[in-house]
Amino acid sequence: MRKALAWLSLAAMASAVLLGCGNNGTSSTSTEGSGSTTSESQEFKVALLTPSEVSDAGWSAMAYDGLKAIESDLGARIDHQVAKDSQIKSAMRAYAQKGYNLVFGHGFEYNEPGVEVAADFPDTIFVSSSGSKTAKNAGAIRFYLEQSFYIAGAFAAKMSKTGVVGMVGGPEVPSIKSTFKAFRAGALAANPSVKVLEVFTGENDDIAKAKQAAQSEIGQKADVLIHQANSAAQGVFDACKEAGVYALGANLNQNDNESGVVLASALIQAKPAFLELAKRVKEKKFDGDVVTLGMDSGAIDFVLNPGLEAKVPKDVLDYIKKLQEDVKSGKVVVAKDKF
Amino acid sequence: MTDLGSILRYATPIALPALGESLGEKAGVINVGLEGLMLGSAFAAAMTTLKTGNPWLGLLAGALVGILIALLLGLFAITLGQDQIVVGTGINLLSLGVCGSVYERVFGKSGKLLTFAQLPTYKAGGFLGNLDLAILLLASTIAFSIWLLNKSSLGLKLRAAGEYPNAVVASGFSVQRVRYIGLVLMGLIAGLGGAYFAVGVTGSFAPGYIAGRGFVAIAMVTFGRWKPVWILLGSLLIGYADRLQLDLQAAGIKLPLQVLLALPYVLTLIVLVVLGKGVRAPAALGKAYTER
Repeated sequence: MRKALAWLSLAAMASAVLLGCGNNGTSSTSTEGSGSTTSESQEFKVALLTPSEVSDAGWSAMAYDGLKAIESDLGARIDHQVAKDSQIKSAMRAYAQKGYNLVFGHGFEYNEPGVEVAADFPDTIFVSSSGSKTAKNAGAIRFYLEQSFYIAGAFAAKMSKTGVVGMVGGPEVPSIKSTFKAFRAGALAANPSVKVLEVFTGENDDIAKAKQAAQSEIGQKADVLIHQANSAAQGVFDACKEAGVYALGANLNQNDNESGVVLASALIQAKPAFLELAKRVKEKKFDGDVVTLGMDSGAIDFVLNPGLEAKVPKDVLDYIKKLQEDVKSGKVVVAKDKF
Repeated sequence: MTDLGSILRYATPIALPALGESLGEKAGVINVGLEGLMLGSAFAAAMTTLKTGNPWLGLLAGALVGILIALLLGLFAITLGQDQIVVGTGINLLSLGVCGSVYERVFGKSGKLLTFAQLPTYKAGGFLGNLDLAILLLASTIAFSIWLLNKSSLGLKLRAAGEYPNAVVASGFSVQRVRYIGLVLMGLIAGLGGAYFAVGVTGSFAPGYIAGRGFVAIAMVTFGRWKPVWILLGSLLIGYADRLQLDLQAAGIKLPLQVLLALPYVLTLIVLVVLGKGVRAPAALGKAYTER
C-alpha cells in the first residue's frame, strides 16, 4: 500500500514536471506520425533555437517575437527550443529530419554547427545570428548593434555630469564584449576624458547581482549606465532610480520601463529582419550569405525616450541627431568584433 | 566601500535559507530542493505583491509557500520514506517548471521586466547605511535557532531525530512527527528568505533569478558546521565578498573575471577550513526512518 502510494505520487509529480517543461514546444506533436504523406512538405516550417529561455525580456525574447511574426504574417508552422552546447547539432538534425525549411539559431554559437549539419540536409536552410561561416544552404545575419551602442556611449558621455559612465554585463561573451567596446569608443569620441566602467556579473537573470553591479559603478561616480543583462536589466534600472541617475536600455526599446530612468534605448528591430529572411527562404532566394543589418536597414536604432527628452540639452540632442545620421550613412564607421 | 545595511540585505537570501536548512538537517532531513523552494516562495511573494501592492502580504505568501513545499518534501521523504536527494531534485525541477510556465502564461512568452513595491528601509546613515527587515529577520532567526537547539526539549528531540532516531522512539515520541516539525521550520525560514529576495532585495522577479543561491545555502550549512552563528557568518562573508568582487571590477582592478567571480567562494572556504573544527554531520542525515 505504502509502496503503491509512493509510486503513484511520484508519477503525479513527474507528470507535473513534464507539464511544466512541455509548455515550451508549441505544436510539435500535432501531425507527426499520423499522415506522413505529401501534404507535409508543402507547409512552410520554421524552427528557432535560442541560448536561453525566450522569457528573458531581451535577446532570446526578441527572436521569439520575430518567430511569431513569421507565423502570423507568412502562415508558417513554427517551433522553438532552448539548445545549448552539445544539444545544438542534435536539435538542428531533428528539425531538418522533420522537414523544416528554416532552422534559425539565435547566436554566433549556432553558426559552425549549422554549416556542418547543412551538408547532410540540403533541403533545409540554417541561419545564425552572427558568425562568418557559410555554405550553400547555411549563413548568418549579423545585427550591427555596435552602431547604436556607439551612439549610446557618445550620448552617455555628453549627458554625464560626473564624467563617469558605466556598463553592466551578464556573462562575458564575445557579442556583449563587442558592444561594450563600441560603447566605450563612442563615449571617448564624444568626450576624450570620460571614464568608462565595466562590470560583468556572469549571470543573465540575476537581478540582485545586476543591481549590486550597478551600485558598485554608481559608487565610483558613474551617473549614466547601460546594460547587457537581459531579464536582470531591472536590477540596473532600480539601482539607478534609487541613486537618482540615468540608465540606457538595450536590445529592446525599454524607454517605457516603470523605473522612469531610461533616457534612451540602443535596440534591435528583429521582427522585420526575421520576416525578410523567412521570405527569402520561402521564395527559394537564399544563397548562403552573411547579411549585416545596421542602422541603414532599420534593424538597428537608437531611440530617445520622448518622456525624458526635455532633460536632454539642445546641443546634445543636435549632436546625437547628427551622429545618428553619420553612422547611418557610413561616414562614421563603428568597429565590430568578428565572432 | 559598502555599508553594513547593504551587506546584510544581499546576504539574507543566503543566510535565511541556510539557517532553515540547518534545522531540517539537524532533524535528519536534507532538502536538496532548497533552490526550488526559494524560487516558489519568491514567485508567490512577487505575484502577491503585484496583485495587492503590499510587500508584507508578499512576505507572508512566500513563507506559506515555503511551508507547503516543505510538507511536500515531507510527504515523500518522511511519510513514504523515499530517497531524500531524489525527492529534493524533483522539487527543484517541479518548482522551475511550474513557476516558469505560470510566469509565461501571465506575462507572455517573451517575458517582461517586473517591478513592484518593496519593504520599507530605515536610513541609519554612516557605516550602517540603510537598514530594513533583514537585520530583524536574521537576529530573530539566530536567537530562535540557538534557543531551540540548545535550550528547548523540542530541540533535543530534533537533534535526536537526526543523530539517533531510535532514542526518540525509546522516549515515546514519533520520529516522523519530530522530523515534520523540523521541515516546517525549514520551510518557514527558507521561504521567508526566498520571499525577502523578491520584496526586500530586488523588488522584481525573473524565473532564473535565484541563480544558485539555494545551492550556496546548502553548502553554507556544511561549511558552518550546522552551527547557526557560523552559518550566519559564512553567509555574510560570501555576501560581502560577492559585493567586493563587483566593486573591484567597477574600480577597474585588472584581474581575470573568473578569479573575481570565484573570490567569494574561495574566501569562505579558506575561513571555514581554518576556523572550523572537526564537527560532523548529523549521523542519521538523509536516512529514512520507518517506525515499527
